[in-house]
Amino acid sequence: MSRILIAGSDSLLMPECRFFLEAKGYTLKHCRNLQAALAQVLEDPPDLLVTEKGFSGNNGDVALIRAVKACLHKANIPIFLVVDENQLQVELDWDNYPVDDILTKPFAPEILLARIHLAEARMIRAFDNNPLSRLPGNTSIIRAIQRVLGESDGYAVCYVDIDNFKPYNDRYGFSRGDEVILMVARVMVNVVEELAGKGSFVGHIGGDDFVFIVREEMVESVCKKILANFELVRNMFLSAEDIAVGEFVGRDRQDRETRFGLLSLSIAAVTTGGGRYTHYGEVSSVASQLKHCVKKLEGSNYLVDRRD
Amino acid sequence: MDEQKRAQFKKMLREIKNLPTLPGIVAKLGKMAEDPDTTTEQMGRVISKDHILATKLLRLVNSAFYGFPQRISSLNSAIILLGFNVIKSLIISASIFEVMEAQDVELWEHSLGCAVVCNVLARHLGVKDPEEISTAGLIHDIGKVAIKMELPREYEMITDLSQEKKISRLEAEREILGLDHAEVGSWLAKSWNLPNKLVEPIACHHDPQLAREEQMASAIVHFGNIMIRGLGYGHAGDIWVPPLNNKAWKVLDLAPIDIDPLLQEIEEKLWEVKGFSLDIQTEPESAA
Repeated sequence: MSRILIAGSDSLLMPECRFFLEAKGYTLKHCRNLQAALAQVLEDPPDLLVTEKGFSGNNGDVALIRAVKACLHKANIPIFLVVDENQLQVELDWDNYPVDDILTKPFAPEILLARIHLAEARMIRAFDNNPLSRLPGNTSIIRAIQRVLGESDGYAVCYVDIDNFKPYNDRYGFSRGDEVILMVARVMVNVVEELAGKGSFVGHIGGDDFVFIVREEMVESVCKKILANFELVRNMFLSAEDIAVGEFVGRDRQDRETRFGLLSLSIAAVTTGGGRYTHYGEVSSVASQLKHCVKKLEGSNYLVDRRD
Repeated sequence: MDEQKRAQFKKMLREIKNLPTLPGIVAKLGKMAEDPDTTTEQMGRVISKDHILATKLLRLVNSAFYGFPQRISSLNSAIILLGFNVIKSLIISASIFEVMEAQDVELWEHSLGCAVVCNVLARHLGVKDPEEISTAGLIHDIGKVAIKMELPREYEMITDLSQEKKISRLEAEREILGLDHAEVGSWLAKSWNLPNKLVEPIACHHDPQLAREEQMASAIVHFGNIMIRGLGYGHAGDIWVPPLNNKAWKVLDLAPIDIDPLLQEIEEKLWEVKGFSLDIQTEPESAA
């Protein structure tokens, strides 16, 4: 964590703080208005963001913080909010300010540095995120499934994997395979965020396996949209010749020459309503039976298990 | 041409960061972003009508951060991969023209018109990715915007020279800068990691015979540019219709008899574009 974005007025960071941090090896970038700060976050995201209450006027602080936290790829960038002590006398609504830490003015350079170190340490502790997709990993997935099992509302736990991913890797190489994994992650995250919103979850089990959780009534529309978007984007990741032929030749696990369909997605969705399950293990075993069925179908498909 | 001067222009143009957008489009998108019922696709459809925002979107999705360098040539795919929140931030961070001149609107109309013609041509010719060719048509003159923003003095000189000597803007650019907008546009596109599918048609839209991999796309954008200039929609900085390249014409394999129905289809599609143009120009600028 070495690049820090300072989004605020000139008085946000005293010169002694700036010199101190730079001497400690941090690179500082200062943006004085929302537009510049957002452009920076989009084009070259920092490792840490320091901003101030009232930045850039007219809810600029909230807009900036939300822009960082709303993007799953950037949600783990720590944000420090600098406030005046008297601003704290009115209680702040922290849901509105999803920051990681606060500082009150004036603060000594050593305090700022200590907070930065703490933020770094906390990030490592909380990290079961997948290093490639930066999505939450298995511990978080289990926790998320366990959480919805305990709720009275019905949810759908959806297991996603990429069909023919291994032969794709063999044919195009691992780095191209990584691109496909990132693509699927983004397609899923964007659809889940847009259609299902609050209470939903996306995690990365590993390799080409993902899980997402949405409210039960949303599951069909989310699955349909993910598959449709995947089909639209998929061709960017295939060569013109493979698209023209509609399949590619590779070797199966027994090293026999086999024809494989182009990349597709399979989704197995298990619904949790009515206290059907108490343990995440039950959910995953139902899902693996379901996946067996959905994998037999050609192309991209989803199946929803409703055990009423 | 002074090599040193050319190198200096090159350096300045390469460093360009933020290309300005028409305020009407940014205001329209800003309003859409505030409406909870707006879908990503609806925003995408508006962004696909603006050469600057489209370029930014492609630049963003092909940047190292997202992990698909030089991979994404379709705007629809870019929109799916970036998602609503990122697109919203992109709109808030978009800079707008501080002083908007008629020529900025006219160049935008020319670009959008060219995209429409390219789309009709690509579909008629049965090309497999017509959407990407219309995107190439949309952003083919991005170099002109860069020259105007980064080298305003030279830009005026180019305009004057082209009028005075009655030569094309392209020739005037080569005379004054030792570079032209196609070359400028192509290195910008390359430095932004855009795929070759888009870079080559930008680079070769005046010299389609130079295209190596994307001959069909380059020929379509070349001819699309000629057609939209001939139709007189928008304005690309001079009054001349560029010459048709013989080799490109052969690649297209069109017969004169094909042209009339194509023109009819183009005229129909341009109506929609004209309506949109009117709409964003009457949009109050207060939201900017």
